[in-house]
Amino acid sequence: MSDARPDDSIAGRASRSFDGLTSNLTLESVGVHAFLYGVALIFLLPYLYMLTLSFQPRSTAIDGIPYWIPPEFTLEHYQYLFENSLIVDWTINTFIIAGGATLLILVVDSMIAYSLSRLSWPGQATILGIIVASFMVPYYLNIVPLFTIIADLGLVNSYWGVVLPAAASPLGVFLLYQFFKDIPDEYEEAARLDGFSTFQIFTRLILPLSRPVLTALALFQFVFNWNAFLWPLVVLQDNAAFTLPIGLVSLLNAQIYRPGRTMAAALIASIPLLLVFLLLQRYLVQAVEMQGVTE
Amino acid sequence: MSIRNRLSGLTRTEEGHKRQTIGPVSRETLEGYLWALPYLAAFAVFLLWPLAKGLWMSAHDWNPLLPSESEWIGIQNYVELLNDPFFWGALWNTLYFVVLTVAPMVVLSLVLALGVNRNVKGKTALRTIYFSPYVLTIAVVAIVWLEFLSTDFGPINYYLDMFLGIRPQWLTSELLAMPSLAMTTVWWLLGFNFVILLAARQNVPERLYEAARLDGASTWRQFRDITLPQMRNALLFVVIIQFIYQFQVFGQPYVMTSGGPDQSTRTIVYYLYQSAFNQQSFGYAAAIGYILFAILVIISLVNYYVIGGDNE
Repeated sequence: MSDARPDDSIAGRASRSFDGLTSNLTLESVGVHAFLYGVALIFLLPYLYMLTLSFQPRSTAIDGIPYWIPPEFTLEHYQYLFENSLIVDWTINTFIIAGGATLLILVVDSMIAYSLSRLSWPGQATILGIIVASFMVPYYLNIVPLFTIIADLGLVNSYWGVVLPAAASPLGVFLLYQFFKDIPDEYEEAARLDGFSTFQIFTRLILPLSRPVLTALALFQFVFNWNAFLWPLVVLQDNAAFTLPIGLVSLLNAQIYRPGRTMAAALIASIPLLLVFLLLQRYLVQAVEMQGVTE
Repeated sequence: MSIRNRLSGLTRTEEGHKRQTIGPVSRETLEGYLWALPYLAAFAVFLLWPLAKGLWMSAHDWNPLLPSESEWIGIQNYVELLNDPFFWGALWNTLYFVVLTVAPMVVLSLVLALGVNRNVKGKTALRTIYFSPYVLTIAVVAIVWLEFLSTDFGPINYYLDMFLGIRPQWLTSELLAMPSLAMTTVWWLLGFNFVILLAARQNVPERLYEAARLDGASTWRQFRDITLPQMRNALLFVVIIQFIYQFQVFGQPYVMTSGGPDQSTRTIVYYLYQSAFNQQSFGYAAAIGYILFAILVIISLVNYYVIGGDNE
């Protein structure tokens, strides 16, 4: 019976792929590879198009022929953006907003997650229940009343108006709660015996042990807040206060159609994120996987 | 820092930590509240309070300049909404968009995840490529696809014209505008599903497939009887998340079509945005928000019971 089919051990796989040289296994494998890489190629084309348009003068960009390599290479769009637009301000704004929101989220989320998972007090279960239930509240439902609250607080057109509401997101609380809860009690008991205060246990034990989940959460929140669109659009009303996504769209609304210029701006807005992603994608992927697993 | 040396004092602290009470509230309780406070304050002010205020606003003819002069009108905003053809149009457009995006996004990401899970070369590179658009802002995605789908200058139409002699009006015809936004969205967000489904597939115990192979089960049988049931929770999660997320689509129509042509891509959140920030009808917009909320709760429950119902 065991001879009927090779098992899935390495030897089995190897022998099958040797057989496969002549059988349809190879054909199938070629098909799978062709499909997966074909889709990957299609996925890459928009990037390539953004890149090539951003280096073309307007004349070739609108002559009706798509070039995958710029036929005439120019830096005029980048030069224009740096000299005549607010793109540097927008980049600084976006860094401050995304960085500030991420920092704030990490601090307040890890504190409450610690309180909920490692300390005990009456009403914990109810609070956790309410936070988890708030996942059901759609992100955009609150924009109108939230805008009036931000306006009452005098935070329209300010960094705080964009950053503070981000701190209310329940995602981080939930992810950190799950992680903190699984840290063995023995560690904490040993630390208490060594005289660690609650604060020391938090800063010297829980946080260092949670570095991977904190990194994943930080990266996810940074990307999310860097990219946020509707809320900054509502709160930021002055050109100089825009974030990159909003500024980008304002360029699009300029009178003359200049695809090269908007593409160059799009590239500038994406490069920091794509770089961070390529370097740290493990953590970002991890943050996404955790969302799938914790459900 | 030899904290260890002060052992005697420590035991007392340890004792005190558990027992000491300040008034009726124990020390640990007090500490617990303090640690939770910063988040709870943000949560109360920026999530719960607007949730309640939105409901209150939706019962008013809200005056954005003089809120205290707003007139209480009960459920009139909701009644008006249900009789508003633009609202129904936006709701219909949104449902259409959801159908156009969720189904292909789930199926394609499942196919890609199962493919990558096989013994393919360059798994990491493939994962990077499929996932990478997910880290872009919708502003970038929309702008790039605006050029990509451009009727006169875009590459898609250039090749379609060359081989088939057609130049479809991707973003300016009522027939194709919404599918074009859907196509853009699939490219942008597919990676999220892909990552979750790939992780779920990798968690399926390989011995189940070994046993099935010994029994001579076909690839299709293995997919139907092992892969699908084992990945059900992940699939359910992905479907519900995408339903909720795609229902709130805003950036694509805002940047790419301005809701047109002839309002055919105006979605619920876009209509909410216009009602509030173009027409200053804050009460009306708040009511739209609440209807959206109700619809999403219903969709989630239906999804949960239809797909995940006989769990256990």
